[in-house]
Amino acid sequence: MRRRGVGASAVTKKKLESARYKERGTELAAQQLEQLSSQLETFHTNLEEFAAKHKNEIRKDPQFRHQFQQMCASIGVDPLASGKGFWSEMLGVGDFYYELGVQAVEICIATRSQNGGILTMDELHKRLMKTRGRYGQDITQEDIRTAIKKLKVLGTGFALLGSASKQIIQSVPGELNMDHTAILDLAQQTNGKVSASQVQSALLWSPERTQQVLEHLTREGMAWADDQAKDKQRLYWFPALFNSDRKLKS
Amino acid sequence: MAASTTFNWPWQYDFPPFFTIQKNADTKAKQIEAWCTLVLEYHQHNKLLKLRVADALASPLFSNKAIERKLPKEGVMEVLESLCKKGNVQWDDKSKTSCVIYWKTIEQWADIIYSWASKTGSLNTVCTLHELTQGPHTTSEPFHGLDDWLLIKALSTLQSRGKAELIGEEGVKFFA
Repeated sequence: MRRRGVGASAVTKKKLESARYKERGTELAAQQLEQLSSQLETFHTNLEEFAAKHKNEIRKDPQFRHQFQQMCASIGVDPLASGKGFWSEMLGVGDFYYELGVQAVEICIATRSQNGGILTMDELHKRLMKTRGRYGQDITQEDIRTAIKKLKVLGTGFALLGSASKQIIQSVPGELNMDHTAILDLAQQTNGKVSASQVQSALLWSPERTQQVLEHLTREGMAWADDQAKDKQRLYWFPALFNSDRKLKS
Repeated sequence: MAASTTFNWPWQYDFPPFFTIQKNADTKAKQIEAWCTLVLEYHQHNKLLKLRVADALASPLFSNKAIERKLPKEGVMEVLESLCKKGNVQWDDKSKTSCVIYWKTIEQWADIIYSWASKTGSLNTVCTLHELTQGPHTTSEPFHGLDDWLLIKALSTLQSRGKAELIGEEGVKFFA
């Protein structure tokens, strides 16, 4: 009687079988890899197609650009991560923000002597539109925010202060703390000026604290003192937050 | 250039603290500089050459009624002194009650008149002073309507450079 399965032939057979399985396995893996790379290629070509097709829209239409940014963010891609990356080469999106960033820096520096290094988002936006000319691309404050956030890599020279609607761009290295921004916020509501008593009652500060912060802002060249107010109280004016018809035209 | 057009005030003219001399040295330097520019442009626009300090204090140049601010006398003097250092202001007297505002310096005037002369082919001919500042051919020139004494100063400068010769009190000959 023969016993089954323990003979030499059975061992060989098993070996053969496992070898075949292995072979099959590699074959499958190779197939999957091939499939994956072809999928990637399709994705790549589609993306290129998309990029080519919508390049102009991304550059021209601010809303589209914003949506594109959001899409990129949700899939974990940062088209601005590098100027040499696929995205910026394909789309020129990087260039767009770099250019905008450079223009924003230029405006901040050009107006620094006037405003002591702080500029409202509204004014920067307006000036950027003017610099870029009538035929330039349309830009939104969202674009400016993106561009300025990118400037952080250059150090601490540029910062966005305050809340979304009334943001201020600070382009001088000096530290502005919460107290300083609180006063800037307050001044924005009253055409760019505050008095010590107004600050004390609005922010519930002591006279010493108020004086110290106002003097700091004056020393930094951000505030100008005005001693000719009707009630003889000194007013502190911020050129950056002051608006008049003539200033808007200048 | 026509005096009939309205003067373009700088934005600072509406900015109340512009009328209070600033304590911060950097800010003050910017402020005085802006005032100097304004004083020169204002006088150029209105073709004014003389400034009496007492009158100037009340003139619209140093006082903005709309915002009820005016530059105090010390401020006005500081601005004028700063212009004096630049050669744009010449005091008439030691007590500094009035001065001449050269919104262009004599040298600049001399250059402007000479380049007009060579441009219009008036070299080596005699022109009357009246013709230069009142004549029909110079209406669009900046020196049209210029005071005689200033004109003569400018022409004397040209004379000392050997570029012109004053003939009597009424005429001048330009040389190439």
